[in-house]
Amino acid sequence: MSGELGQGAMTATTLKADILDTPNGTITICHKCAPCLFSTLQLDPGLGNFSHYSSIILKLEVFEKIASAREGRVALALVENNTVVGYLACWYPDRGERWSKLGELMYEMGAVEVSRNFRHVGIARRLISCILADDFFEDRIAYMNGFSWHWDLDGSGLNMAEYRKMVMSLLKVHGFQEFYTNEPNVALRQENVFMARIGSRVSAAQQQRFRNLRFGIADHG
Amino acid sequence: MLEDYPKEIMSKDGTPIILRPLSREDEQRLSEFLARIPEDERWFLRDNVADPAVMHEWIQRVDYDRILPLVAVTQDDNTIIANVRLYRRASECLRHIGHIRVMVDPAYRDQRLGTWLLLDTIRLAMSVGIEKLVAEFVSGVEDAAVNAAHKLDFFEQAVLKDYVKDREGRYRDLVIMVKTLHRYWSDF
Repeated sequence: MSGELGQGAMTATTLKADILDTPNGTITICHKCAPCLFSTLQLDPGLGNFSHYSSIILKLEVFEKIASAREGRVALALVENNTVVGYLACWYPDRGERWSKLGELMYEMGAVEVSRNFRHVGIARRLISCILADDFFEDRIAYMNGFSWHWDLDGSGLNMAEYRKMVMSLLKVHGFQEFYTNEPNVALRQENVFMARIGSRVSAAQQQRFRNLRFGIADHG
Repeated sequence: MLEDYPKEIMSKDGTPIILRPLSREDEQRLSEFLARIPEDERWFLRDNVADPAVMHEWIQRVDYDRILPLVAVTQDDNTIIANVRLYRRASECLRHIGHIRVMVDPAYRDQRLGTWLLLDTIRLAMSVGIEKLVAEFVSGVEDAAVNAAHKLDFFEQAVLKDYVKDREGRYRDLVIMVKTLHRYWSDF
């Protein structure tokens, strides 16, 4: 179910949204949120600081900053139109990161998270699919770093192996596959996983540059 | 389990290499690979794989529930340049243990191939529920492999003094290295 949303706290903007009916209530999945939206929202308490685990994004201002950046994208899952229970934030890699050496070819699915109170109802999957529905991704390589230090093992009840498998399954559905790389942050721990989705219009030459860069060989093509 | 293969890696000198499961069609390629392994090293293998009949029998009977054999091949001509086997016992009491054996073509050593293969096997082992990985190395013969294993947090668990004999009849130590795949896998 989808449509235009513009009510309650979201009157400042209208945006494309899907409705997800779950046992926990009706959740609105908002695509590519505008920077002006976030100041009217609040974070669900299932996103935050816990022992052994902390949410990647803890302040709404961070969403605003991401959405304001060039081609920054934030998709949100909201309950009652103003409480964030899940998010996906994407951006071009920072200039200090290896992947930025391929210019605008690489695009990071930087952070995806669902509140501890709203898991297992398909929110992450919906967030990813709504972001990837944009034709923008067909000219790019979207990637996600699965860093185990961000994984909520306590909250999920999963061990490292199970969590890794869950992350991979979630992304594989959307055309991502695991790629090996010697990028130091990925290589730091053996359970970390680097996954990427190669857009349908990415050329063979671009794919070769991506392959080279995965192993530290940069060029200026 | 094996649906994620083939995987692309690159050697230290930039040679594109593919990791994939061994298939029955690889018999000739595997024979040629093993023929390039120095005889002093092949000596320590448990099967006489230099014998074509033994090789044929082995490759035709590979049971993926017990042995997961992976190979590294050159992208351009599919030549096998390294292999790793992950063995698992059928018995429930040992089902959580995996034994691994890695071999690399001498022409491709010091290119991080052994490290990539070990890393890949660790991830594969984890995905099939293995909790401990065991690797055996002959001291003084496989020291480079011992170093690669150390880098991936394998620890020396035991040394069986004067346990194996080399081709000249000299006794050599067998080093047993173990890597525990923790519940919180890299909890340290």
